[in-house]
Amino acid sequence: MTHATNPPVQAEPLGSKPAQPGGDIGIVGYGQTTYYKKTDRTLIGLLADAARQALHSSGLEKNSIDGISVCSFVLPPDNAVTLAEQFGLSVGWAYYGTAGGGGPVAAVLNAVRAIEAGHASTVLCLAGDNYDIAGHFALMDMFSVGLSNYGTPNGFGGANGLFGIVQRKHMETYGTTREQLGKIAVGQRRSAQHNPNALLRGPMTLQDYLDARVIADPICLYDCVLPCAGAEAVIVTALDRVDGSRGVRTLSGFEHHNHPVNEIAPLRGGWELFRDRLFEQAGVGHEDLDFVQAYDDYPIMVAIQLEDLGFCKKGEVGAFLEQHDFAFDGSFPLNTNGGQLSCGQSGAGGGMIGLTEAVRQLRGEAGEFQVKKARRGLVSGYGMVGYGHGLASSAVILEQA
Amino acid sequence: MMKKGIDSGVQTNHPNKADYGYPQPVRSPDNAVYLDGWKEGKLMLQKCCECKKPIFFPRPMCPHCWSDQLEWIQSTGRGEVVSYSLIHRPNHPSFNDEVPIALAEIVLDEGVALLARVLEATPSTGMKVNLATESEVTSRYPLPVFRPET
Repeated sequence: MTHATNPPVQAEPLGSKPAQPGGDIGIVGYGQTTYYKKTDRTLIGLLADAARQALHSSGLEKNSIDGISVCSFVLPPDNAVTLAEQFGLSVGWAYYGTAGGGGPVAAVLNAVRAIEAGHASTVLCLAGDNYDIAGHFALMDMFSVGLSNYGTPNGFGGANGLFGIVQRKHMETYGTTREQLGKIAVGQRRSAQHNPNALLRGPMTLQDYLDARVIADPICLYDCVLPCAGAEAVIVTALDRVDGSRGVRTLSGFEHHNHPVNEIAPLRGGWELFRDRLFEQAGVGHEDLDFVQAYDDYPIMVAIQLEDLGFCKKGEVGAFLEQHDFAFDGSFPLNTNGGQLSCGQSGAGGGMIGLTEAVRQLRGEAGEFQVKKARRGLVSGYGMVGYGHGLASSAVILEQA
Repeated sequence: MMKKGIDSGVQTNHPNKADYGYPQPVRSPDNAVYLDGWKEGKLMLQKCCECKKPIFFPRPMCPHCWSDQLEWIQSTGRGEVVSYSLIHRPNHPSFNDEVPIALAEIVLDEGVALLARVLEATPSTGMKVNLATESEVTSRYPLPVFRPET
């Protein structure tokens, strides 16, 4: 028996070009549960909701999913493999995110690589938690050995106390003011007023922001997120598996963790190390982006991301904030569904809310908070608080397919 | 200078730490010298025998050069406030009566930084601080605490 031989493929030497996620792979479906201040529902139930919505939004069949990824703080002892059992999926690739709020963006990048490497063809990426304020405090008290041994016994105030130290340092080093940072929270709240799934939708003026009660001076109430229950999901696959209007291409993306090393409260993070490659590989400039979904656990961290990602120079974010309006219809659409600051922080789901919102915007499905002509956007992640600050950072640039 | 609401630091009607219910660090071979040193009023730091750099928090190996040859040195206990927050909403309820808690990033004379409470005054950036060493303080607080230099 003879067999036809394919013509030899001209192989490119390994490493001849940077490993570029994307090209023909991207996000084709997204899902987001209702956000709850408190719920009796199980986390696996919430993740199931998000998964089912994402599948429906992709138009794919359930059995086309052959890879699974999940980011969650309170899911253990369950994990990605036991979720495959719960959801009846047979998978060739399973991934558990370890980068806190920086994890979901990193998970999508890893899903793209897994598909490129042939380990899976369609990956369900999940993120979520079902805790509340008390659950969040308990989690923060036992977050890592470094923090629970050397932070918690000081009465450290959780993330609020740590980011109070970061914010004061930024204010005293660069002259950044609460009036400037407040524009982030106020702009996002204006977007949230159009989003029925945001837990905090009341009007907020800059004066309301400034007058809010002190939590961990200089952090006040509207600098903080509301811990809540909820889940988010996206489906990553080859874009030619779905009809054109459903796909969002991943142009470039990176993660970097524990930069700078051995600092307690740095005013920068891993984004500064990959910023140039991020834009270079995407082949776009900052001016080509129609929105940014930045990880917003605190306005000060959004400000630091804007600096590190190159929207302004280090230390000059205060003036940048003064120049812009950050609502979905403003001059710099930021966290266009209201972000975590207005929607709530569904644990590790807070690292995916920007991804699902970006896909919603790029597919033109954001309704009353739709950014006009949204063709391209950036999503950044941040998290995994160690001894003093979040250790994880990630970012991806997405484009309408 | 005393400020209303700032924890006054030493109370004699609570003779042992258990009465305060503070969360405690977990003692291990990596940090036993540090935790035991504090109970004797000392701030103990690791120093790498190979690259000579000071290390905080306690680790099983040097995070700079990966040497496992670490020695313990006693810090002068002097440092300077780099930044701080005043915590009105502690995570753990055992701290609720002491708000606001002044949590500071303090860089020690040895060149390494740590997070610690500053007692008896509102800190300011650049403030010189010293380790508090009285037995009432070391028996009460799970981790080293500081006071403004007098």
